[in-house]
Amino acid sequence: MTWMVRNLLLCALLVVGCKHAEPVITPTGPTPVPAPALSACDARQAEISKEADQRAQPWSIEQHLAKNFPDMKVSWLMPEGLYQKYVVQPGAQNFGRCSDTGCYLFAAPTAVIQDAVTKSMTGGTHAPEVLGQALGLPAKNFEGPLRMMTLDLNAPATCVRLPVDSDPGVWKCQSAEDKDCFKFGGYTSGGVPEVMVINAPVAQTTVTEIP
Amino acid sequence: MSQEQVLYQSPLLYRVLREEDGALSIEVVVGGIAMTTVRVRLTAQEAEAYAREGSAFTDRLAQEIMAQPSFGGRAR
Repeated sequence: MTWMVRNLLLCALLVVGCKHAEPVITPTGPTPVPAPALSACDARQAEISKEADQRAQPWSIEQHLAKNFPDMKVSWLMPEGLYQKYVVQPGAQNFGRCSDTGCYLFAAPTAVIQDAVTKSMTGGTHAPEVLGQALGLPAKNFEGPLRMMTLDLNAPATCVRLPVDSDPGVWKCQSAEDKDCFKFGGYTSGGVPEVMVINAPVAQTTVTEIP
Repeated sequence: MSQEQVLYQSPLLYRVLREEDGALSIEVVVGGIAMTTVRVRLTAQEAEAYAREGSAFTDRLAQEIMAQPSFGGRAR
């Protein structure tokens, strides 16, 4: 009898003990959450981005955005006439060169473009040579009135990745003297950080006149 | 007032134009974070190819010009 009571007590203790036993969780750091813009890419762009990251190792679009685009704001410049002809008059929905796979646009950090524009302003107009020097591009790209476009890549989430050689508009470098041609790695040949934005919506983009 | 006529405007950011003297040319948006345009006058062979193939031909031509905006010294 005593033996039975002792066994019953032991079983009861085991049941209670098991009930309170919780799985042991080892504390770890927070899981990195990718920027919404990285998960906004469709399957095709995600695959291109993956291949670009593999080629750029140990660099990646995630590191590139964290270092050079901390506020996730991108900008680019167009001459006024070009903006009217290719964006306003046709009623474009997206910026960039469009094919059946999307609209492809090179963009730089807004802070870099804004700084260059600010430095170039003299007497109410911009100086093309100053802007060109600041952005490592020929001054002729900046002659006449310009438009500066700005887009927040997270609002709404817009696909972004490292640019690759096969992107529409890539200007392949022919010689060491070429200043505005494409070099893989996320920087222009003038040293300005750049990304490839897919389907940058015109409606969500802020457009500023630069006289 | 310019008499040039836009024959075709592509979402790839180029236009096919008939210039005042009747010649065909292609205007292509080139560049990355700062865009600009170059214009190339089509040769007789290229004009024939455009008449035959339409935008399929000019898509290829525009992409060649984007990749090399001087286009062998033909761009202006």
